[in-house]
Amino acid sequence: MIATPDLIESLSRNMKPVRRLHPPVTRAACWLLLAAVVVGLLAVSQGIRPDIMSRIHDPSFAAGIVGAVLTGVLAAVAAFLVSLPDRSRLWLLLPAPAVVLWLSNIGYQCLGDWVSIGPDGVSIGEATRCLATLVLTSLPLSLAMLVMLRYAAPLRPTAVTCMGSLAVAAITATALSLFHSADATLMIIMFNIGTAMMFVGFGALFGRRMLQWITPRPSIRD
Amino acid sequence: MTERNGRPPLLRLVGSDGDAAPAVPEPTARDTDWAILMAHAQDGDRSAYQRLLQEITPYLRSLAARRHRDPSDIEDAVQDILLTVHAIRHTFDPTRPFGPWLVTIANRRFIDRLRRQGRRRNRETPLTPEHETFAEPQANLEETPDRRELEKAIDELSPMQRKAIQLLKLKEMSLREASTASGMSIAALKVNVHRAVKSLRKILGDRSEP
Repeated sequence: MIATPDLIESLSRNMKPVRRLHPPVTRAACWLLLAAVVVGLLAVSQGIRPDIMSRIHDPSFAAGIVGAVLTGVLAAVAAFLVSLPDRSRLWLLLPAPAVVLWLSNIGYQCLGDWVSIGPDGVSIGEATRCLATLVLTSLPLSLAMLVMLRYAAPLRPTAVTCMGSLAVAAITATALSLFHSADATLMIIMFNIGTAMMFVGFGALFGRRMLQWITPRPSIRD
Repeated sequence: MTERNGRPPLLRLVGSDGDAAPAVPEPTARDTDWAILMAHAQDGDRSAYQRLLQEITPYLRSLAARRHRDPSDIEDAVQDILLTVHAIRHTFDPTRPFGPWLVTIANRRFIDRLRRQGRRRNRETPLTPEHETFAEPQANLEETPDRRELEKAIDELSPMQRKAIQLLKLKEMSLREASTASGMSIAALKVNVHRAVKSLRKILGDRSEP
């Protein structure tokens, strides 16, 4: 172990000027812009589901979509705020109302569809295409979030990755409900709550390790 | 530091065992100075950076003294925080206060450190002089009666068997060495040691069975 004065000497001698981070809301906006681009590109390549105009007038579907979009936006903002050491952890509660709106509307939709259609309404082809949408949306967004928040590793890794994963999950769920007419109960449960759980779970399990893997090492000579 | 700012150096009372909670100087008064220094440091001013690190070190040390008791732990924690501050210095926004930024980093590093130590304590047992004492053969007196009993049993064996067991088991020779030493063939040694173990088991009673 080296003596603290020597460490200070060495750190300050090898210091390079750094670029300050932009305000968290701006950075969240950048990420959301990326999300919009990804979803837009997918819309061009896969095409919006044909019955979108009729479905959008259904209040529960519309509320679900609005809830998902809001969750994505608010969770992204919260993730960027909480990643900074001098912001309150209470920002974690920011997306909570939107999450309630989103999840409660899924619940209602499921119940209605369970009674009228039954669980076997979706073919294999649809499910595969849904999976493609899921991966194509979530992968670039997760990676971008990871890179943008890498400095949070020594601070609040778990909270930040949970928020980031929630944002990714909500955006992904929005994309899924825009592109695929997955009206059957099981698919909706799987895609909406399932994606949310999956990303938040993966975030909690591996986020810490991933962040540490990519984090700027506290090196004396950097 | 305090002397330079025209304030008297802070005195604190510490119990004889170092247990008393040390007074932590409030960073608010120096907050602005530190924020300005950090802003300069972000732009590449090395002397400002060095001054900042030197000034926050006593403060960090007093924070660390609340959580750790071992002086080397305190110093390790302080260095850990300094390295973290260095690694993420670009996250500081000069328009916001410096104190909360620093304290959050410090607290996170303390918590991580204490957790790591807790995990290590659960896994490891420190080696004390007692452990070493009990491993010494002299400490294990109850083996002596067993040894006497075993020696008596070996004396009761036939001469060939006794020779085989002495060379192969007690002196721990290899078969070839024992063969040279005793003049018995390797096959004879094998047979005799096998029979010897069998008869010893009979004489002493099989202790593997309760």
